[in-house]
Amino acid sequence: MSNVVVNVSSDLLWAITRNNSSYIVKRGVGNERVTFSKEPLNLTNKHSRKHSGLVNEKAVGVQANENGGVTLITKKSHEKYGSKPASLYDTTAFSKNKSQRKTYAAIVNRVAKKHYRPDLRQEAVARASAIKRSQRPVKATPASKPRGVKAKAAAEKA
Amino acid sequence: MTTRPTVSIHGADGAACGTTATLPAVFKSPIRPDIVQQVHTGMAKNKRQPYAVSEKAGHQTSAESWGTGRAVARIPRVSGGGTHRAGQAAFGNQCRSGRMFAPTKVWRKWHVKVNQGQRRFATASALAASSVAPLVQARGHRVSGVPELPLVVADSAFSSMEKTRAAVALLKSVGAYTDVVKVSKSKKLRAGKGKLRGRRHRQRRGPLLIVNPADESASGVVKAFRNIPGVETAPVTALNLLQLAPGGHLGRFVIWTESAFKALDTIYGTTTTPSALKKNYLLPSNVVTNSDIGRLINSAEVQAVVRPAKGGARQKKGGKAGVLKKNPLKNKQVLLRLNPYAKAFAAEKLGSVKVEASTERPGKSETFKKIINTD
Repeated sequence: MSNVVVNVSSDLLWAITRNNSSYIVKRGVGNERVTFSKEPLNLTNKHSRKHSGLVNEKAVGVQANENGGVTLITKKSHEKYGSKPASLYDTTAFSKNKSQRKTYAAIVNRVAKKHYRPDLRQEAVARASAIKRSQRPVKATPASKPRGVKAKAAAEKA
Repeated sequence: MTTRPTVSIHGADGAACGTTATLPAVFKSPIRPDIVQQVHTGMAKNKRQPYAVSEKAGHQTSAESWGTGRAVARIPRVSGGGTHRAGQAAFGNQCRSGRMFAPTKVWRKWHVKVNQGQRRFATASALAASSVAPLVQARGHRVSGVPELPLVVADSAFSSMEKTRAAVALLKSVGAYTDVVKVSKSKKLRAGKGKLRGRRHRQRRGPLLIVNPADESASGVVKAFRNIPGVETAPVTALNLLQLAPGGHLGRFVIWTESAFKALDTIYGTTTTPSALKKNYLLPSNVVTNSDIGRLINSAEVQAVVRPAKGGARQKKGGKAGVLKKNPLKNKQVLLRLNPYAKAFAAEKLGSVKVEASTERPGKSETFKKIINTD
């Protein structure tokens, strides 16, 4: 019961959405012009054929959980679910208590080792890692310990 | 050809109600953004109203040129005295309170004729794009909660629908209400004079509900849906490209009533059977049947005729000579091929041997003394 339309392919979709898509964000001027993408299944947030989550039949997304940890999103079989937006995605949440190493290992297992999108292995782990790093509590800056002349001045003041 | 794909029909509760419909042939039309864009720019011009500046503007004065000899430009000047206006330049487009350059006329060519064949092609193309989830999302519609595209809702859900409340409930159950929320949130005050001209706000477009006007419930359904922000309704018999591809961008989110969806094949026909309602019309067919480039390249037919990779299977990066360029400074085998002496040089560590300083210095040797001291 597949209803995937045959006149559409990811190559065609990329040709159409490449220059015109609601997800495109352009920044910078001149030589520094960059085109980003707001797609949820885009690991690098770059608007490119490889990283586009909309166009590719297989795509990977890594998002932050609300209460810490990361969620891995992948697309299900295009044949079966390509035209069913509500049930297209497979999500796996990794809790914040799962160790970094195990989280990344699980991501690599899903993304690369099962031949899903081996080319996105590094990007997936890098994104997860960046999210994890951002979730760490921010250390308060330690009080300054003045030395020499400044220390004397501080002591006199106190 | 394989069996025609099917689309499940969704009930009022948003769940598939078990019955399916075969996908009408329009949805297999070629998706051509270039054609849609061009037809849209033409069609969008056909609702314009003429405007122009007043015929008299800038000419309501009896100015005459002063001629030469008065040390001022020969532009016509307002005659008389006793007011500031007297003696000021008039008429010219460069003059204050002169006429504009090339005053606009009401008889400008406001409308653009778009050929019927092109209009039909664009409509078919826009319909096909409306069934492709990535294109609908790329247009900006929120369809992540929608069970299936094209979204077909059973006729039973619309029978005796009169109230907007019921319409909203239906949109919620089929996952289309997030798109309506997006529309309501997008409502902004229009920039510019349009505010004063009956176009005070601007907002996004939401779902387009396509109904079959032959249905008894159709008029009630249209009334029920017409006050929901961004939601539009259209009769399946008279689809408009301006609604199917607003702004010339493919992929409007379309909700079909079951009977409208089933009427598509009689309205548009297929690529081989002519349409019942349009004279001499066959749906356009794809020039390239398979647009998947990867599959084309890897197909047996193409692979059978391509030249083998230069440099053999192991060195796909082959340059002109078919050999991967290797750096002799880093690759020892290549270095030895160029300079066989390198082996001995390295083995004896000649590169790190110090130059032996000779103890004999010129001018201080015995031989030198002997020669210089000869009488």
